[in-house]
Amino acid sequence: MPVIEVENLQRRYRARTGIRRRAAPEVEAVRGINFEVERGELFGLLGPNGAGKTTTIKMLITLLLPSGGSARILGYDLVRDAQEIRKRVGYVFGGDRGLYERLSALDNLRYFSELYSVPAREQKKRIAELIELVGLTGREGERVEGYSRGMRQRLHIARGLLHRPEVLFLDEPSIGIDPVGARELRLTVARLVEQGTTVLLTTHYMFEADELCNRIAVIADGRIVAQGTPSELKKGVVSGRVVEIEVFGDAEASLKGLRALSGVISVSVEERGQAQLVVVRVDVGAEVTSAILTHLGGLRLGRVATREPTLEDAYVELVSGA
Amino acid sequence: MSVPRLIGLGWWLQMKMRSRSAFDGALSIIYPMFFATSVFFIYRQGASSSALVAAAVGASVMGVWSAVATTAATSLQGERRQGTLELLVASPTPLPLIVVPITLSMAAIGLYSLVATLLWGRFAFGIKVSLLHPLAFAVACVVTALSVSVLGFVLAVTAVRYRSAWALGTALELPIWLICGFLVPLSILPHWVRPLSWLIPTTWGVSAVKRAALGGMPWRDIAICLVVAAVYAAIGTLLAGRLVDSARTNATLSLI
Amino acid sequence: MRTSARVFFLGGLMSYRALFTWLSPWILIPTFMVGPIFQILFFAYVGRSAGVGNDSFFLIGNAVQYAAIPCLFAMGNSIGGERYEHTLGLILVSPARRVPLFLGRALPVIVNGFVVSLFALTVGALVLGVSLPLSVLPLLVIVLAVSAFACTGLGLVTAGIALRVRETAVVSNVIFGLLLIFCGVNAPLSSLPRWMAVVANWLPLTHGIAAARKIAAGATFTDVGRTVAVEAGVGIMYLIIGLVLLRIFEVESRRHATLELG
Repeated sequence: MPVIEVENLQRRYRARTGIRRRAAPEVEAVRGINFEVERGELFGLLGPNGAGKTTTIKMLITLLLPSGGSARILGYDLVRDAQEIRKRVGYVFGGDRGLYERLSALDNLRYFSELYSVPAREQKKRIAELIELVGLTGREGERVEGYSRGMRQRLHIARGLLHRPEVLFLDEPSIGIDPVGARELRLTVARLVEQGTTVLLTTHYMFEADELCNRIAVIADGRIVAQGTPSELKKGVVSGRVVEIEVFGDAEASLKGLRALSGVISVSVEERGQAQLVVVRVDVGAEVTSAILTHLGGLRLGRVATREPTLEDAYVELVSGA
Repeated sequence: MSVPRLIGLGWWLQMKMRSRSAFDGALSIIYPMFFATSVFFIYRQGASSSALVAAAVGASVMGVWSAVATTAATSLQGERRQGTLELLVASPTPLPLIVVPITLSMAAIGLYSLVATLLWGRFAFGIKVSLLHPLAFAVACVVTALSVSVLGFVLAVTAVRYRSAWALGTALELPIWLICGFLVPLSILPHWVRPLSWLIPTTWGVSAVKRAALGGMPWRDIAICLVVAAVYAAIGTLLAGRLVDSARTNATLSLI
Repeated sequence: MRTSARVFFLGGLMSYRALFTWLSPWILIPTFMVGPIFQILFFAYVGRSAGVGNDSFFLIGNAVQYAAIPCLFAMGNSIGGERYEHTLGLILVSPARRVPLFLGRALPVIVNGFVVSLFALTVGALVLGVSLPLSVLPLLVIVLAVSAFACTGLGLVTAGIALRVRETAVVSNVIFGLLLIFCGVNAPLSSLPRWMAVVANWLPLTHGIAAARKIAAGATFTDVGRTVAVEAGVGIMYLIIGLVLLRIFEVESRRHATLELG
C-alpha cells in the first residue's frame, strides 16, 4: 500500500486586497493533482516558485484543508484522521523562521519532543542523538538567535525527527544554504531514506531532485505536468540535440519563425548578461542548424554550440509549457 | 503524553523567554505600576484612609490583568511571525494544551506585579495593607491569576484564527479594570453593567482578594470565580478546535 | 527648503497608506475608539469612587494626553518601524534631509491622534454627562495642537535615543507612564510632592492640560495665553535637544553599527 496517496487534490483561496474588500479574485493554487509515494521512497516535488509546492505540502501535513479532492497518508484520511497523521509525520522547512529565538537549541528540542509525546525517559537520549546527527554538538546550549541559516536548518531537521516519523516532509530545505551545507543536508536525507523513512521533498533546484530522488513529479501552475524517475523524465528529452546560439539584440521577433521550422521541438530564450541565449531543441537526425542561423541572420551572433539535452531542458520545457 | 509535564515545561520555557526580553518581562511588571501610582495620587487626596488601602489592593491586582491582556493575543501573533504557530498546530498536541502554559506564564508575571505594587504602595506612599488572612489572600490571588489566564486563553485561541485579535485584547485592558471592581465598586456603575461584570470570573477573584486583604471571608467568591473560570475554559477549549479548523480552511496560520 | 516640504508631505502620505494597508476595522476600532474612551471613563469613575475631583477634570486630562501621546511615539516608531522593516539603512543613505523626512512620516500619526482625542472627548463628555459648550472647542483645539507639538519635540529626543538603543518600545512606554504620573493628567500638581511638580513644569503636557482645563471651565485666550506659550516653549526646547541628539547618534550609529535590527 502506498504511504502517500493523493487524488485530485485542490486548493483555492481568495487573494487579499486590503481594507476595502472588493470582489477579490479567487486563486487556484493547486488544481487537482494526483500522485502516490511508496514506502521508503524519496519522492521529489519539483517546480518553480509559486507552482503550488508549499501549498501541497501544507495540505499533506494537515495545516491547510483542501478545497477539493482527497489524500491518504499511511492509510489515514487527510481531513478525518488529521490527528493520527500528525503523530506519524515530520515537517521541515527552509528559511530562518520556525524556531524559538530566545531559547537554546536544546530547549527548542525539549519543547517539541514534549509536544510530540516522546516518552520522558527517551527524550534526553534522543535529543543528544539528533544533535550529533545534524552536527550541532557543542552549540546546542546557545540561543537560536545567534545561529546561522545553516545551523537553523540543521536544527529544523533534528526537530522534525524527534518522534521518529514514518514520513518526512521537506519543504525547500536547502534554500539559502551554502553548497557544503547543502551537500551535508542531502547526505543526511539519503541516509534517512536508507533507514526506511519515506521522504517527500519539494525543491526548485533541479540537480538536487535529479541527484536525490527516486521519483519526481514536476509541478507548475498548480498542476503536475510530468511524473517519473529522473531517467524517465530525461528520456523525454534525451533524443535529439540542443543548439545554443548567443545572440546580441532582440531575438524575440525571430522566435515564432524558429518554432515553425521543421525539426524544431521547442525554442526558449535566456538572458545572459548583455546577450540572449536562444536554446533550440531539435529532433533526432534533423539538420536544421543552418536554417536556424539563417533565420537569425539579421542579428549579431556569438557562440553557437550543440549539445546533449539535460534534465534541466526537460524541466524548463515542461514548466514553461504549462 | 503527560499533560502536567507538558504544561509545566511550556510554562517554564515561556518564563525563560519572557525574562530574556525587557519588553515582555520587566515592562510587563512596571507598566501597570504607572497606573497604580496615578490611582494612589487620586485616592491620597480623598478623606478616607481605608479607601486608600482598598485602592492599594485593587491597584495591585490590576497588574495581573495587564500582564495577560496585552500579551495573550499578541503572543500568538508573535508565534505567527516567528513561524512557530504552524509547527504548533501541525503537532499532535491539541491547541488548548499549548496555549494554557502561555497564559499561565503571563498570569505568573502578573503576580510579580501584584507584589511589586503592594511594596511600592507601602514604601513610596506609606500605605499599610495589613493582611488579616494571609493564606486566604494568597489563595485568592492565585485564583484571580487563574481567572485572568482563562480570559487570556479565550483571547489567545481567537488569535489563532483572526490575525487582528491582538488589538481586541489590548483594547480590553482598561474596560476590564473598569467593570470588574478593581477600584470602582460595581454599585456606582450603570445598572446594566452589573450582569456583565458578574459573568466575568475576574470580578469574583478581585472581590475575593479585597475581602481577604481587608478582613472578610473570601471563600464564596473564590468558589464562584473557579466555577465561572471553568465555564470559560470549557468554551475556550470547544472554540479552539473549531477555530483551528477555520484557520486551516482560511490559511491564517501563517503571515501571508 | 521646497524639497524638504515635498519630502515632508509625500513621505508622510506614503507611510500613512503603508500603515493602513494592513490595518482592518478590527484593529482600528479597538485601538482608536475603545481604548481612549475607556481610559477617560476608567479615571473618571475612579475619581467618583474616591470622591476626588470632578468628571470634567479627568475628561480633559486624559483627552489631552491622548492627543499628545501618539506624537511622542510617532517619531520613535517611524524610526523603529523602518529599522524593523530593514529599510532604515536604505533611507539614511538617501540624500533626503532627516528632520522633514521623519517629521513627514510622523505627521499622519499626529493628525490621527488629534482626531482620536477629539472623538474620545466628545463621546466621553456624552457618557459622563459633562457639558462642553461648543464655544470652547476652537480654543481647545489650539491647545491640543500645541501640546501635540510639545510632545513631538520630546518624541524627537526619544527618536534620537531610538537610533542608539534597540528597545524603543520599552523606552516609549516608560515615558508614557512617567508623563501619566507627572503631568497632572489625573492628579493636580498641587497634590504631588514638590519635586515632582517642579519636574512636571519642564515636561510637555503639563501646561497644555492646565490650560485646557481652564478653557473648559470658561476661560478666554487671554487668561491662558501665557500657559499655552510656555507649553510651546517646552516643545521648542525638546525639538532643539532632539535635533542635536539625532545628529550625534546618527554619526555614532554608523560607527557602532546599531542601525540594523538583525
